[in-house]
Amino acid sequence: MTAPKPPVSIDPLKRPGPPIGFGTMVTFVIGVLFFGSLAAIGFTPDRLIEVPAGVARVLSFFWPADMAYGWDRVLPAIVESIQIAWIGTIIAAILSLPLALIGSRVLFPRLARGVKLISATARAFPEILLAIYFVPIVGLGAFAGALAIGISSVGMLTKLGAEVVDSLDFGTVEAVEAAGGSRLLALRWAVLPAVLPEIVAHWLFRFELNIRASAVLGVVGAGGVGGVLLNTLRYRHFDKAAAVLILTILVVLLIDMLSGEIRRRIIRS
Amino acid sequence: MIPARPSPNWPLWIGVVGFLAAMTVWSAYGIGFSASELACNIAGGTRLLEESWPPDFGFLPRLAGPMMETVYIAIIGTVVGGILAIPVAVLAARNLTPNRPTWFVDRNFMNILRTLPDLFWAMLFATAVGFGPVAGALALTVFTVAVISKLYSESLESIDMGLPEAIRAAGGNWLQMIQFGALPQAMQQYVSYALYAFELNIRASVVLGLVGAGGIGMILETQRANFEYERVTMIILAVLVAVLIIEEISESIRKRLT
Repeated sequence: MTAPKPPVSIDPLKRPGPPIGFGTMVTFVIGVLFFGSLAAIGFTPDRLIEVPAGVARVLSFFWPADMAYGWDRVLPAIVESIQIAWIGTIIAAILSLPLALIGSRVLFPRLARGVKLISATARAFPEILLAIYFVPIVGLGAFAGALAIGISSVGMLTKLGAEVVDSLDFGTVEAVEAAGGSRLLALRWAVLPAVLPEIVAHWLFRFELNIRASAVLGVVGAGGVGGVLLNTLRYRHFDKAAAVLILTILVVLLIDMLSGEIRRRIIRS
Repeated sequence: MIPARPSPNWPLWIGVVGFLAAMTVWSAYGIGFSASELACNIAGGTRLLEESWPPDFGFLPRLAGPMMETVYIAIIGTVVGGILAIPVAVLAARNLTPNRPTWFVDRNFMNILRTLPDLFWAMLFATAVGFGPVAGALALTVFTVAVISKLYSESLESIDMGLPEAIRAAGGNWLQMIQFGALPQAMQQYVSYALYAFELNIRASVVLGLVGAGGIGMILETQRANFEYERVTMIILAVLVAVLIIEEISESIRKRLT
């Protein structure tokens, strides 16, 4: 039997503390930036005290919500937002699928770089800025919104899709080519069946994001529920604004739940 | 012998494809998707694109102030929202929450926060506290809480529970367990989510001004309303450059962390 090892002697007075230098520095820098910003936008303490009162006062006007307005006016606008998001997602899905395949670094090392550049550019534009251009081009309304959503979704879907393709086991591709199949046949029979479930799950996720995005496009006149909310708030019809908020929250929650459930099933099967 | 070719589940396929097609046709009809109208409008569209190029570089100096305001709004929103997100995330993490009702209430609170887009918050706060950057900062605070708390609570759910349990066993209370056992384990993820939220906030604060919540969007809105498209292009280019710079910085910080 061996004697237990003597414990390593620790001097309780000399406990190794955390390296304070770095943390303190970061906190200091963030603090300076934060208080500097507060001062710069004129956010003085007396303004801060007014905020809860202002919010509470406006909230008190929200009740009771004008649900009649909600069913008549808001619900059609929300349906339009959903349609915008759907068409936008379809446009993005159709455009991004070939781009995702070409964007795979393993399959097409040369082309992938160009695709990456395209998708990075598309991702840099928030959809509402695109909508500002599409509204005068195709006219005021939902179609401009759908185009804006579609174009700005292409970037993210291409990037995620290419990552899915790259994470593939390329044994099946080699098998198709070894059996005499062309590159195109390999894509169709080896790559596509393997990546499609995950890519479709990404499409659905993007659809959820696009619903939120399409809800705000109305602000620049591109259709959907955002314009309704802006108008009700502008004319101080708070009971109607409350109807917009309640219905939007309910519909978005419902769609998130449905789409989340479908995504989980697709990934599992 | 060659195994039988697997036959697809035809009724399911027809159902899914039929649903997708029906949904698409219905939506296309609903939003007024018409090729002929597009063809008619495209002429006006090209004229607009010609008008919006080249960008009006003389306008650039006037953008510096509003651009800084945009950055200020994003900083305030990220800092306050990032701090507020911590308790929200802890209470929504299944393994750390003190009891089930708290978890349930907080979880749903988090989900409802997430359903409303950033511009809705901006409109609400602009109405409540008046037009200007204060409304924008408040809107981004709520938006940041929504973004970070969801991601962070998921990270907290996957930590090693040995450490918190050890603290509990040694007589620490719940708060000490969270502070010393749970939060440090997910610290890296937290910082990376906060940086991600900051990037989102910079993008978002660009558009907040469209509804009167301060920042560069306010100028964008006035120039857009006056159809000064050379200036709109200038503003958008400036915004893109700013967004790319911020993303580059936060990416390099994130790389050093991991």
